[in-house]
Amino acid sequence: MKARGTGGRLTRVLGWLAAAGLAAGLVMAFGVAPREATQGNVQRIMYVHVPTAWVAYLAFAVVCAASVVYLWRRAPAADRLAHASAETGVVFTGLTIAAGSIWGKPTWGTWWTWDARLTTTAILFVIYLGYLLLRGMIEDRERAARAAAVLGILGFLDVPLVHQSVLWWRTLHQPPSLGRPQPGALDPVILAALLVNVAAFTLLYAYFVAKRARLLAREEEALA
Amino acid sequence: MPDHWGFVVAAYGLAALVLGAYWRRLVRRERELAPAEETPAATPPGTEADRAAPAAVRRGAPP
Repeated sequence: MKARGTGGRLTRVLGWLAAAGLAAGLVMAFGVAPREATQGNVQRIMYVHVPTAWVAYLAFAVVCAASVVYLWRRAPAADRLAHASAETGVVFTGLTIAAGSIWGKPTWGTWWTWDARLTTTAILFVIYLGYLLLRGMIEDRERAARAAAVLGILGFLDVPLVHQSVLWWRTLHQPPSLGRPQPGALDPVILAALLVNVAAFTLLYAYFVAKRARLLAREEEALA
Repeated sequence: MPDHWGFVVAAYGLAALVLGAYWRRLVRRERELAPAEETPAATPPGTEADRAAPAAVRRGAPP
């Protein structure tokens, strides 16, 4: 009971930190970062698009790691973490695709194109949507957790493919904004605004996962 | 290049809407499960606290 109370307090602290981070991110994106020379103000969509994409990578990396732990140790907490992270990852991947599409229309002239980055990201979204459906379809909790863990590990193979797609194939999508091969490609203020938003969205992800994992534990208790 | 503020507002608005909706869903689910947890173990069935628990939780059925 005490551990649950501590967990609740930690989750609340994470929530407030995320809220403060998001407020700081908005100030950086609209008040501090300059208007981009080529694209104009529409480039400010990057401060949502890139952080949500980063969180999606992180979420599915956590699913993969927690799934390995679950298959190895059969720890229910690892399964709950994988489940919570997959759900949150699907939300953020959907947002990445939607924000990218909104950014694509004024800059590329189209909402969608079967470009390597867009296609591999859409596949990633479908894989983890399938992961959540699989969990819901199998009634036996142990079997559902095992099957989901295998899919959670295999699905992660698409993440490096998504990231490298803009480097391996000639695509419409620009190279990665963070960690791109040529140094100094981003203006330092734009980079700072982007990093603040990446940190804020990472905190929001941690808050959502902590809250969802606690709910999953309560649901299991209610069913027991 | 024109600024396309409409697209910027759409992207940020959509993000706020989706993340806000997901957060509300988690909070609502937390509230649904809370009465079952807060009910004291010694509370006999049929008391006020017991009636506050969602029916699905009291039955032990999937919520």
